[in-house]
Amino acid sequence: MEINSNIKAHLQFPAFYLFFIMFGVQTGVGIMGAPKYIFIEAKQDSWVAILLAYILLIIIVSVMLLILKQYEDADIFGIQVDIFGKWIGKLFGTIYILYFFVNLLSILLNYIEVIKVYLFPTISSFILGLLFIILIAYCVLGGIRTIVGMIFFFVILTQWILFLLYDPISRMDWSHFSPMFQASFPEILQGTKATTYSISGFELLFILYPFIQNKDKIKLPLFLGLGYTIFNLLLVTVISIGYFSPVDLADLDWPTLSLFKNVSYSFIERLDNIIIFEWIMVILPNLVLLMWGMTYGMKRIYNVSQKSTLYIASIMVLILIIFIQHDKQVTMITDTIAQFGFWLLFVYPLFLLPIVLIKKKWRRQREDEKN
Amino acid sequence: MRKRTRPTKQGNSVLPIAINELEQLLQDNFPNNPDLTFSIYHHHGKIMAVFYISYMVENDKIENYILDQSLKMKTDWSTQTLLNEIPLSSGKTNTSIDDVLYGLLLGKVFLYVEQEKEIIEYVLLNKDKRSLEKAETESLVLGPKIAFTESLITNLNIIRWRIRSTDLVLEEIIVGKKISREVRLIYMKSVANEKDVNTMRQRLKDLDVDEIEDSAVLSQYIEDSSFNLFPQFDTTELPDRFSYAITKGKVGLLVENSPSGLVAPATIFSFLESTEDLYMRWQAGSFLRLIRFLAMFFSIVVTPAYVAVITYHYEIIPTQLLLSIGESRAAVPFPPLLEALLLEFMIELLREAGARLPTKVGQTMGIVGGIVIGQAAVQAGITSNILIIVVAMSALASFTSPSYLLGTTVRLIRFPLIFLSGILGFFGLMFGICFLIIHLLRLTSIGTPYLAPLYPLSLQDFNNVFYRLPFSLENKRAKFNIPKELVRYSKKEAKKKQDIDE
Repeated sequence: MEINSNIKAHLQFPAFYLFFIMFGVQTGVGIMGAPKYIFIEAKQDSWVAILLAYILLIIIVSVMLLILKQYEDADIFGIQVDIFGKWIGKLFGTIYILYFFVNLLSILLNYIEVIKVYLFPTISSFILGLLFIILIAYCVLGGIRTIVGMIFFFVILTQWILFLLYDPISRMDWSHFSPMFQASFPEILQGTKATTYSISGFELLFILYPFIQNKDKIKLPLFLGLGYTIFNLLLVTVISIGYFSPVDLADLDWPTLSLFKNVSYSFIERLDNIIIFEWIMVILPNLVLLMWGMTYGMKRIYNVSQKSTLYIASIMVLILIIFIQHDKQVTMITDTIAQFGFWLLFVYPLFLLPIVLIKKKWRRQREDEKN
Repeated sequence: MRKRTRPTKQGNSVLPIAINELEQLLQDNFPNNPDLTFSIYHHHGKIMAVFYISYMVENDKIENYILDQSLKMKTDWSTQTLLNEIPLSSGKTNTSIDDVLYGLLLGKVFLYVEQEKEIIEYVLLNKDKRSLEKAETESLVLGPKIAFTESLITNLNIIRWRIRSTDLVLEEIIVGKKISREVRLIYMKSVANEKDVNTMRQRLKDLDVDEIEDSAVLSQYIEDSSFNLFPQFDTTELPDRFSYAITKGKVGLLVENSPSGLVAPATIFSFLESTEDLYMRWQAGSFLRLIRFLAMFFSIVVTPAYVAVITYHYEIIPTQLLLSIGESRAAVPFPPLLEALLLEFMIELLREAGARLPTKVGQTMGIVGGIVIGQAAVQAGITSNILIIVVAMSALASFTSPSYLLGTTVRLIRFPLIFLSGILGFFGLMFGICFLIIHLLRLTSIGTPYLAPLYPLSLQDFNNVFYRLPFSLENKRAKFNIPKELVRYSKKEAKKKQDIDE
């Protein structure tokens, strides 16, 4: 297996789109329920926890960039093979792929559950799953260009939802935030940890990096995209805390959706029911990029054609959707993947960086000796 | 006329040949053909044959210039003297009998003096065509009204007169193995993107079909993706629209016997452009273009959304409005899905009948269909008035597309969307819209992304695609076409302001 991935020029996209990719792939089902989980841990100081999460995010992504820059044109699969050797490197790559798979499954299951709870209690999960899989497969078959375009479009097409927040903002009770700074530091950290599921997705940078055309201009769109995700998360969390009473917020399942319940006009009301469906556009970038990451990873590691991975993974997702019907199972999968994701996304790169740096140094020394 | 570069087959030529042998040869190649005129003349002991297909050529020219002149000649007949004496400019010599046979079909007249080594040919083609008329399928309020005709020569004449520049290239490519037809590849040498020209030329040359029926058929042979819903070539019968695209760096095709030209690369937005936007003031032009974009979106979404809301999501309608909708639907026996499909079907019937019937009857059709049936259907309690408004509006919106092909696609898309909405409510509708967007993203037109300049994003090309600015601000061609010359005129000159009293 080659360490560098040698992407053809016509498959590369400008760094500019990273803004949309980062926001699109981070924002998904997580943000629907995030205010609740952060609030349970950090109470009215949740906003501190989110700001802390941004700092953490910046550190982690900088570390990722640093790792990637040690190589010419490599992705995580190549790097791991280079660092840990063929067997362990491939094993670690496989762990990433499995993580993508379970993450994709958890997003789909969560969203299907929302639809069932809110609107169609009797609809078959299989039908919804099938329609999603059709969209995912159709998009992935178009290749990376189509995927980037899809993310770009869907991110732009969902921005109108933000305007509707004027209504809950106007009804906020600011006294919910006082007294400030009551949470202890461990509580804040717990709150930060609760955000990890809703800000995961940036790990795909590890795979997308070789596909970027102008790598020298990567920083601005990348960190702006991450910042925009955090801004949205902060916005809905702050509004949720001000809008709902503290007792209710801890009980609500999807506080972000409930924010829109009261927006009404003389010709339309209950906009939350429309926004649930608009959320398809919010989660599709997640699903598609995760699926693509899987197919691409399988191709890099095991040289399996992307199409066959796509079809097999699609069928597996569909079968699992039929069997996982209970909301407790869905919560369990989500919790497990959130826990696992925390270690894989936020901790693992910190360990990887020193190894990469040492290996590079060691290699340079050896070359010097040779000369 | 382009000079034929085909090498002359001197070696296996049958010439020189006796006149009666030549006649026999022609008869063998055109069996049972009473239209081949083969006449023999004697003069100063020389024998000459003149042959042509009588209705393919201009007979009076043959009589006045060829026969009259040659029979009055003082000198002996030979290839050289005939070419010299006959006062026609298109005279050439030919030695290949295959060329002669094919030339007969192109309206050529052939002269052969017995025992000469070459046959003389004159192009005197007589092609019957309709006269230039006003455009019917794409009508304009402002601007030139002239439309292409079925005659390629006439169309080329119009284009040359519109773009009088040596830059304009009209490449001839013959398409069709069994029944060949002339296709012209048209582009501006110094502007058009080389890659586009080469792609187009390559696709035309690689095309291995027995015949092409029309330019619309040709476009389906050479398009990027055959299974796509959307047209990938701009089809237009307006020379001004055609030449506008050419001068902005696109590549055009004209096909013999077809009254519509093809332009590529096309984007979905180019189908919604009309040259009329240019002839208007820029504010009005931008406004009209915007209206067309909205109309397309509206036309696709509004009926499915109605079906979804009425079937599943009536909670989003405020009580007051819900009451009036309920009232109008009270007597309707059908579920919303069936009701909407029925009405959409009726509108399509009206449109199709209107298109097929003669113009005079067509107008009555609209009145009968639209007013009488619509009114009666509501009174009979088969449909609700609100749905009639919705369906009529969406049909109207789809007719605002300047391109008939795109309008048809838009109307076609509605049906699966209505179906999805009727089954799964907004979920189905969103599924359909997402699918459509991905579908469009995957599409290209001779290699150019179909959604350019939206994706790949190119903000400076938004001008002239989504809106129009005054000409002093738009001095560039569309960048996503990658034209050889991006700048049309100097912006500095255009923006130069004069002081008050200068």
